[in-house]
Amino acid sequence: MAFDIFLLEVIISGLMTGVMYALVALGFVLIFKASGIFNFAQGVMALFAALALYDFLAEDGWFFAVFGFTLPVWLAIPATGLIMVVLAWVIERTVLRFMVKQNEIILFMATIGLAFVLEGLGDILFGSDVKPLDIGIPQGASDWLLDNFNLYIEQLEIFAAGTAAVLVVVLAIFFQRTRIGRALRAVADDHQAALSVGVSLDRIWVIVWSVSGIVALVAGIMWGSKSGVQFSLSLIALKALPVLILGGFTSVPGAIVGGLIIGVGEKLAEVYIGPMVGGAIENWFAYMLALVFLLFRPQGLFGERIIERV
Amino acid sequence: MTNEQTSEILLEVDAISLSFGGVHALVDVSFDIRKGEVRSIIGPNGAGKSSMLNVINGFYHPQQGTITYQGQARKQMRPHDAAAGGIARTFQNIALFKGMSTLDNIMTGRNTHMSKSLFWQALHIGPARREEIEHREFVEHVIDFLEIQSIRKTPVGRLPYGLQKRVELGRALAAEPTLLLLDEPMAGMNLEEKEDMSRFILETNDEFGTTIALIEHDMGVVMDISDRVVVLDYGRKIAEGTPEEVRTNQDVIDAYLGVSHD
Repeated sequence: MAFDIFLLEVIISGLMTGVMYALVALGFVLIFKASGIFNFAQGVMALFAALALYDFLAEDGWFFAVFGFTLPVWLAIPATGLIMVVLAWVIERTVLRFMVKQNEIILFMATIGLAFVLEGLGDILFGSDVKPLDIGIPQGASDWLLDNFNLYIEQLEIFAAGTAAVLVVVLAIFFQRTRIGRALRAVADDHQAALSVGVSLDRIWVIVWSVSGIVALVAGIMWGSKSGVQFSLSLIALKALPVLILGGFTSVPGAIVGGLIIGVGEKLAEVYIGPMVGGAIENWFAYMLALVFLLFRPQGLFGERIIERV
Repeated sequence: MTNEQTSEILLEVDAISLSFGGVHALVDVSFDIRKGEVRSIIGPNGAGKSSMLNVINGFYHPQQGTITYQGQARKQMRPHDAAAGGIARTFQNIALFKGMSTLDNIMTGRNTHMSKSLFWQALHIGPARREEIEHREFVEHVIDFLEIQSIRKTPVGRLPYGLQKRVELGRALAAEPTLLLLDEPMAGMNLEEKEDMSRFILETNDEFGTTIALIEHDMGVVMDISDRVVVLDYGRKIAEGTPEEVRTNQDVIDAYLGVSHD
């Protein structure tokens, strides 16, 4: 039985890592769905959000230096959310507005630039040292699971999984059932047609970047609580790429399922195949899997079917 | 096709000039569209017909001239202002939301009529939900009117060309437009589809009193359904009048037969 418990633990810990990937991937999907832009800056947005949140909470931050007090967690999170909305607005005003009707690759390049600007800004404003982020999410193993099932699972990871589930449900309803959601999908499909039915592109882009900024905040909180707020956080963005290739760039559920598959897959590979080839599979397994998908199912598991008329 | 001579002017374009770099797409074009009429814009390829529609709904911004819509004069329209002001359109190359169903596509046409705030929509309760249901009802009327009940849930990317054109018309109609712009609504259709489309256009005009401006190459259709016609050639207006007047106009005949311009 000991072996089975171990396998179960590997799978569950993979699932939990997968949820973390999925949270980052979710932010990508939102922007890609609504504007066809692959937002390279998504990971940096998560980092930036976590840095800003830390700043509100800590006594060595700007906020404390200026106002002489720190914010409680329940106020700091909405305040950071507000910062992400303002950031979205600024990005629309200073970057996106001038790129309407440009090629997607040009927009992509713009987001690479944006990533560096944001990273530099984060460094200048908040410093580049690793910051512990504690917003009161319970840490350590879940005693209940350990006692009853002899399973070792981090409470933080359970919390992250729950949060991700709630986010997905809310976003799915938002996209499928509301006017703004429909307008977002309309913009994604055809800019001109969307304009002709009275959708204002400027507004839609601010909304979608805001929403994905808030998703980035959630991802930033989870990753920051897990391993501290550090600049390597922006590299997680790269892991989101295979997740997206698996799940499909335009699918919210796809981001989640893709994240889970990658998370579990790389953990299992590390544990069971790793010893045979000298380990460190975890770092490249995701990309191999993505490559296989690109060969056989380029639209991903849940992506929109590519319908071609000839 | 009521008596148009007395009715008021809905839209007036005055001395519009539009160029892209050195290419003059429109040169000093003026005409008006009266409330309730079917107004056709015709001309050989490259005459500037589509450019004219794009100016009216704000995709293109003319360098010179003014557009007076519902008594309000402006240098240029902006697309979402035009839509909010009741101008809906279809496109020469169908511009539908390919990933969405017929129903969702037509629902987007209701965009300008829906007003509940983002807050309510995000919660998806109360007023926003009632609003969705209300508009869904209207959309069902449009679907019945265009006889496309059977493809309600089909992703439009899978529909044949003729039906896509019809869905696109449906999306425009869902906006309950004051002015409907149709860019070659019958291009690429067979005879039967053309007859259906002509019927829908005329019924829209009759039943809802919608003013229609359309571009069409099929002269038979144009002569049948238009109240008045304006003819463009090389970006200039060369003739205007009832179908009968235009048909017998020597400049128009020359333009279509390709007499050299010297």
